[in-house]
Amino acid sequence: MATRKEVRARIASVKNVQKITRAMEMVAAARLRRAEQRIEALRPYSGQLRRMTRNVAEAAGAEARNLPVLQDRENVSTVGVLLVTGDRGLAGSFNSQILREGLNLRQAVKAEGAEISYSVVGRRGASTMRFRGEELAAEYVGFTDRPAFADARGIADALIADYVDEKVDRVDLVYNRYVSPLTQLVWRQTLLPIQHAQVFGEGAEEEDQQGAGPDTELAKAHRRALWVYEPDPEELLAELVPEYAQLSVYRALLESTASEHGSRMTAMRNAAENAKEVIGDLTLEMNRVRQAEITQEILEVVGGAEGLG
Amino acid sequence: MHAEVLTPEGKVFEGEVEQLSTRTAVGEIGILANHVPVLARLRPTALRLHMPGGEITRYAQGEGWLQVFANEAMVLVGECLAPDQLDAAQLRERVKDAEKRLGEAEEGTAAHGLARRDKQRAEAFLEVAGAGE
Repeated sequence: MATRKEVRARIASVKNVQKITRAMEMVAAARLRRAEQRIEALRPYSGQLRRMTRNVAEAAGAEARNLPVLQDRENVSTVGVLLVTGDRGLAGSFNSQILREGLNLRQAVKAEGAEISYSVVGRRGASTMRFRGEELAAEYVGFTDRPAFADARGIADALIADYVDEKVDRVDLVYNRYVSPLTQLVWRQTLLPIQHAQVFGEGAEEEDQQGAGPDTELAKAHRRALWVYEPDPEELLAELVPEYAQLSVYRALLESTASEHGSRMTAMRNAAENAKEVIGDLTLEMNRVRQAEITQEILEVVGGAEGLG
Repeated sequence: MHAEVLTPEGKVFEGEVEQLSTRTAVGEIGILANHVPVLARLRPTALRLHMPGGEITRYAQGEGWLQVFANEAMVLVGECLAPDQLDAAQLRERVKDAEKRLGEAEEGTAAHGLARRDKQRAEAFLEVAGAGE
């Protein structure tokens, strides 16, 4: 049986672990709130972009919608897969479930008769994939705590360039979709070609934005006026559409960040709770050891007295 | 005239301005009150907001979109940074990286076009950073 000193030392160390995991839980909770706000902050921009797209698409006519980035390729020989993981671990199954899904995809892609080409976001995913001997087309690290739009644009532009240059014939995104602090879903989404419905689909907010606000004389005049397009609507549309891929990547990065913090929060809470349980068990053990020591001492005293008598 | 500058990361500016100047795919553009409806593709440049008080607020602006309708100017840009948020050393690094990729990429490919755009953006930002010092 362990001595009292040993048990006391173990209790102290578990208490330390508990303190650390509680602190990490709180940090994760604060960062999760910030990540949720950043998802929220994206909404006005994407809403306005959708309205502009509708305006341009109407002016450009149906013909202009047949852009290469919107077309499904008939022969798919290489499928690019972007795995979105985090720079750090200690977040439950956050990173591993993405990598598992990514590696499982290889079978599905092989069945299509195509090769898979991995790109990875996040140090965790990149190092694990390299350790497994996987070749990576690109790795993007160092920003998953707080992804900026510029990070997303860089990734999306590189993927679009590979797609247009026909190095890949389709690109899928795999990331943790944020549902709630407790729930994150492994989500797979086709990034390229860009889905028609995503760009031209009737958004949920179908209200006419230009009708909103005070209906001034100028607004009335402008509704009849001709718009000036710089450059012409066809070219505008060709530049607008890739922006949806940038926004999709940005959204995936933001959701992944929120999921990471949520997942870490849950993992750390479980760890802290587990530590509490262990401390309870150890305290019981310590009482037992102490009782045994006392019993032993009494027995010795009684035994000694009997020996004298 | 009412102006609003939005990025995917949030609102950068909203308020009254006398004039808004930027650069479209076609060339420099200045928007004053009562401008006709415009929808334009913006290129990286210094976005200048002329305030009613006479002072000019400058931002380094990436690629984006400008919409003018009924005295409402809406600027949607990927990046919009005040001069003091720019890091000149880092921008020079980015210009160099883009130049390297530009040299490696074959002309006419998307990779080549991307490197050229990255170079132009970093150079435009560098100009704003330099003028702010």
